[in-house]
Amino acid sequence: MISETWLYEGRCHKFGDDVRHDGYLMTQQYVTDKVFDPEVLKSHVLEEDRPDFRTSVEPGDIVLAGRNFGKGKAHVQGYIALRSLGVGVVCESMPYLSFRGAISVGLMFMANSAGVSDLAADGDRLRVNFDTGRFENLTSGLVRDYPPLPEELRKIVAKGGATEMLRQWWTEERARAVA
Amino acid sequence: MGMTAFEKIVARAAGVPAVKPGDVVYPIPDLMFMHDGQVGSTKEELDDIGIDKLWDPSRVVIVTDHDVVYTTPKAAQKGMKIREAVKAWKIDKFYDIGAGGHGHIFPMEQGLVRPGMFIFANDMHCTNFGAIGAVALRMGTEIATVIARGTTWFTVPPTVRIVFTGQLKAGVYGRDVGYRISRDMVDGRLFGGKYSYRVIELAGAVHDMDFSNRVALCNSPTEIGVATLFIPPSERLSGSIPFDGDLDLTALCSDEDACYEADEVFDLSELEPQVALPGSPDRAVDVSEVTGVHVHHAFIGSCGSGTYEDLVIAESLIRGKRIAPGTRLYVAPGSVETARRAADEGLISSIQRTGAIILQPGCGVCSGGKVGPLGPGEVSISTAATNAPGRMGPRDAQVYLASPATVAASSLRGEIADARGLTAA
Repeated sequence: MISETWLYEGRCHKFGDDVRHDGYLMTQQYVTDKVFDPEVLKSHVLEEDRPDFRTSVEPGDIVLAGRNFGKGKAHVQGYIALRSLGVGVVCESMPYLSFRGAISVGLMFMANSAGVSDLAADGDRLRVNFDTGRFENLTSGLVRDYPPLPEELRKIVAKGGATEMLRQWWTEERARAVA
Repeated sequence: MGMTAFEKIVARAAGVPAVKPGDVVYPIPDLMFMHDGQVGSTKEELDDIGIDKLWDPSRVVIVTDHDVVYTTPKAAQKGMKIREAVKAWKIDKFYDIGAGGHGHIFPMEQGLVRPGMFIFANDMHCTNFGAIGAVALRMGTEIATVIARGTTWFTVPPTVRIVFTGQLKAGVYGRDVGYRISRDMVDGRLFGGKYSYRVIELAGAVHDMDFSNRVALCNSPTEIGVATLFIPPSERLSGSIPFDGDLDLTALCSDEDACYEADEVFDLSELEPQVALPGSPDRAVDVSEVTGVHVHHAFIGSCGSGTYEDLVIAESLIRGKRIAPGTRLYVAPGSVETARRAADEGLISSIQRTGAIILQPGCGVCSGGKVGPLGPGEVSISTAATNAPGRMGPRDAQVYLASPATVAASSLRGEIADARGLTAA
């Protein structure tokens, strides 16, 4: 267990297969304009198809999706927004570049959860341990174990993403230079 | 056990004797690419950390190709920030507006990117470099880590291979093959659907394809989620790229006993021109299924169709004719050099006489609505690299994708048309 912050409990927001990033997870304009500020982005995640998402979502909630989550352009604004809202993601699969992008911004997620779409309905109460991979549907009582992210990648997520890893590297480099 | 060409190039860059799928490697890139959309946020990220010098500025290439006209003061200001970053980072390979063109095309034409190179880039369409036997992987915002540290991790993907047989019919091009193999991978006809994060090696009859067809092939499937594409370089490229006669081509081919996760054969001889329906590049159908769909907007250019040969094909079809009233055709040469050559040879004036609009070299309309967008509900046919909803403006606009020939023919008719029927009409 890296820390107890890997345990998420909240409402299931259910989506199907092929959820694309640009123009769905995140409004195209914020992608094109290269906006990376979480405070701006969190108001616009999923706004076009679920206008009530922003107001209904709470920290600990889970976005549950099918195959190919983050399809199309592998941008990261949607993952930045979800992370800043304290929302985790469990999906059946993700294109590699989107998977990598989600790690790079420190999103709490599992992307190797075949059949997970059948385990919960929209609105169900879920508990997910992203460190161990345990998925629990508290509404139905169903429990299933999935592979969590590989440990090396969980370390990056725990750190907060690629930028924080780079910051740590630079601090160590400078310490070495001084020594 | 031998290695694929991709594995050989990665092993060389990573400084290890061999790599295999699943290995985590830290290769040192020969070049690192960043386009104008990425520079500002990358500079802010490194400044915030306090990183004021790059690992090796001489290997970093910065290209302005997305916003090459500055249609707003904000864009001009962004250009100023890019120049400040280039100066602060001491980068000599900087291609400002008007200097290079599309960063996924001109570096091959000029010999900056060469067969056998290993490259990290921020933009996913760097897969283009596979057209000449270079390996490029997309790192997105993590390009900040790459230029600062000189490397980053990735997991070696499995390689799958498509061996092409037969010859394309007249009027069928690399774009058509690219959309079709994308469809066949997504719907499981190729590789049983196992294409995600695979290196797609293209072999067989592709050996004799020219630069434009190779670029189109390495560009069209990118967005379905492949790791990259690779075509072994051949003598057929000479004339399009500076070609070193001493280049050891066998070193850039896969070993006889290389291990492919899957191996497929694709017959080119039966393929019809393809059109990708709005939504994504893999939604390919035969052009006959959509002929007659009215189009308001057409575009020839982008990283996948911006070579000199693409321009020649388009010009030959529209020469001496007029673009249909109510339809606008934009044409963006992929590089400054192609634009100059096309102007010298009269291609540009010929295109302009049809009523088409010539754009500055670069991404053109495909850069995310910066120039030549669609209006609400309008329909476009284009050679863009993507047709996701909202990519060219309003979400309800419809973007079809096709080869330069199909787009040219459609712009004359004002509706989606098969270029092979053009002269008969």
